[in-house]
Amino acid sequence: MNHSDTASFSIKGLRDSLLLLLWGGFVLWLSFSGQLSIYLHPSLQPYTTASGVVFLLLSIFGFSSVFPLSRHTYKHKHHECGCDHHPLGEQHGLHGHGHGETESHEHHHHGTGGGVGAMIFKTILLLLPLAIIVSGKATAYSITTVQNRGVVDNINNLPSAKAGASASPASSSASKSLALATPSNTSLNNPSTDQVTNATPSDQTSYSGGPMPLQVIDMLYAVQMPSYRGEFEGKDVEIVGQYVPMTTGNPKGDRFQAIRMFITCCAADAKPVGVTVQYPKPIKVSEMGWLKITGKPTFPMEGGRRTAVLEATKVEECPAPSEPFVY
Amino acid sequence: MLAIAWFTFSFPDFQYAFLSILLEGLPFLLGGAILSGLLEEFLPQSLMTRLLPKNPRVAIVVSGLLGVIFPVCECGIVPVVRRLLKKGLPVSCGVTYMLAAPIVNPLVILSTLAAFRGQGAWEMTILRFGLGLSVAILAGWVVSYCSPASILRPGLLSPDHDHDHHHGGSGGMLDRLQNASLVATKDFLDVAVFFVIGAAAASLFSTAVNQEIILPLAANPPLAIVSLMGLASVLSVCSTTDAFIAATLTTFPMAAKLAFLVFGPMLDFKLLFLYGAAFSKRFIIVLALGLFVVIGLLCWRLSTLNLAW
Repeated sequence: MNHSDTASFSIKGLRDSLLLLLWGGFVLWLSFSGQLSIYLHPSLQPYTTASGVVFLLLSIFGFSSVFPLSRHTYKHKHHECGCDHHPLGEQHGLHGHGHGETESHEHHHHGTGGGVGAMIFKTILLLLPLAIIVSGKATAYSITTVQNRGVVDNINNLPSAKAGASASPASSSASKSLALATPSNTSLNNPSTDQVTNATPSDQTSYSGGPMPLQVIDMLYAVQMPSYRGEFEGKDVEIVGQYVPMTTGNPKGDRFQAIRMFITCCAADAKPVGVTVQYPKPIKVSEMGWLKITGKPTFPMEGGRRTAVLEATKVEECPAPSEPFVY
Repeated sequence: MLAIAWFTFSFPDFQYAFLSILLEGLPFLLGGAILSGLLEEFLPQSLMTRLLPKNPRVAIVVSGLLGVIFPVCECGIVPVVRRLLKKGLPVSCGVTYMLAAPIVNPLVILSTLAAFRGQGAWEMTILRFGLGLSVAILAGWVVSYCSPASILRPGLLSPDHDHDHHHGGSGGMLDRLQNASLVATKDFLDVAVFFVIGAAAASLFSTAVNQEIILPLAANPPLAIVSLMGLASVLSVCSTTDAFIAATLTTFPMAAKLAFLVFGPMLDFKLLFLYGAAFSKRFIIVLALGLFVVIGLLCWRLSTLNLAW
């Protein structure tokens, strides 16, 4: 192995280790700053966090290989080396060392193709995601994706929700939140539930006789389940959601949709889930802005099917919840 | 923002979906790379050929079923298959394992059962397993008649010694683990390049394409099947959770959902690029067309049988 090979290997080894160090660092930073929840379902977050740790470990191994404490040098012949001399490759003439080295060599490094240009290109490509993370702009969807995916207003069209609703309400996540939102369960004494906490961070202290905190998804479940509907129909409730103007089915211009993003795995599969809000006054918030809406849930028949309409008495802008998704 | 009737592109949305797919897939890709490193360091080269049945066709069938006891999802499968091919696994067996593993995976079986509860869960799960395995075996058989040189990425089987390895297991366990980690690093970074490109393609389509354009196609079985196979490619959802999405496509016939569940884990947009880490471009194109036609035709045939599901 000549010196340029050594230098090339060292640079490549160094690059690999640095890349892993950066990826590991960024993944762990996202994890421990709580930003991973912007991208992933909670059940997947531990795996991604663990991968950050593994990146760092691999990086350490890599650095220790580039800068070894003690260097093993020994010579051997190819037939002794136990390399990947693939039987099929040899059979079909695929395999040849092709590194132009003599039979006896020291720490041989077979060329794997791809010159400096390819290495730079790959490095840029692998740094690209990190640059996007640093830019901090990719943290939520705009109205464009919501419109492209279509707002779900029927619980049967929501991943994993239909089976739960039809077979066993108690086993579904939404019915869990619904149960928590019922007067008997939602109280200041029990603010630790995810659904209630996520839906209205500021509500934990406000629900003691005030409006009942509900999720958008709860109202959609209630459309399908009359027994649950009765728990809050006609009562004052409070919903947090993102503002989406209604372009159809809104002849009087007094309706909009309050949506939340429902995810199965990650934000890439997020589906907007929405409930219609009726409010006669103009809304002073931009599209996809966060709103806290107080009003009375109604479940009228519209277009031949039962729907959920929240007749709002108060609509105000609010900060985004710490965890923007519903699951 | 670029906008035409069915395509509206928003760069921040694209970036958001792109990061989400990457962060979701990273642990699985890394898991596959770690497994690859361990296989390289600890799996004797001769063991693979000794364990596989001598009859090539039986070996292909066994490779298809390997995913049941050796489950890897579609993101992690590519580095594993690359390494197994380097270790001497016949290409036909490698292709079969790669295509079948994300479907015959026990987690996938359970998630399909759960997602289709109340919608013919057992029928859908059995058909998904059976069709996925059959198509993978068929692909393996076809590949067994082809020259590996025409299928594999040039240079794939060349030894890759970009690491200071210590041959013959003469080093201690720490040395061997270090070797395994170096192989894992190399494999991860090799495949991650393709994963980044695939995630970008999947993000572009999943955020910019209006997904409601396919709804009118639901009433026509052949078009419904084709459109859901297209949707599966666009969404590039992990095979462990795709059933939950398929189950909600209530306006589509079950045969179309089956096509979604079989085609997606074998060839979605991110896989189209990921396979580039192991296979030649020509093979990937032929594989994509072949899978599209075969799965489409089989599902269409199933739709004409009026099965009670």
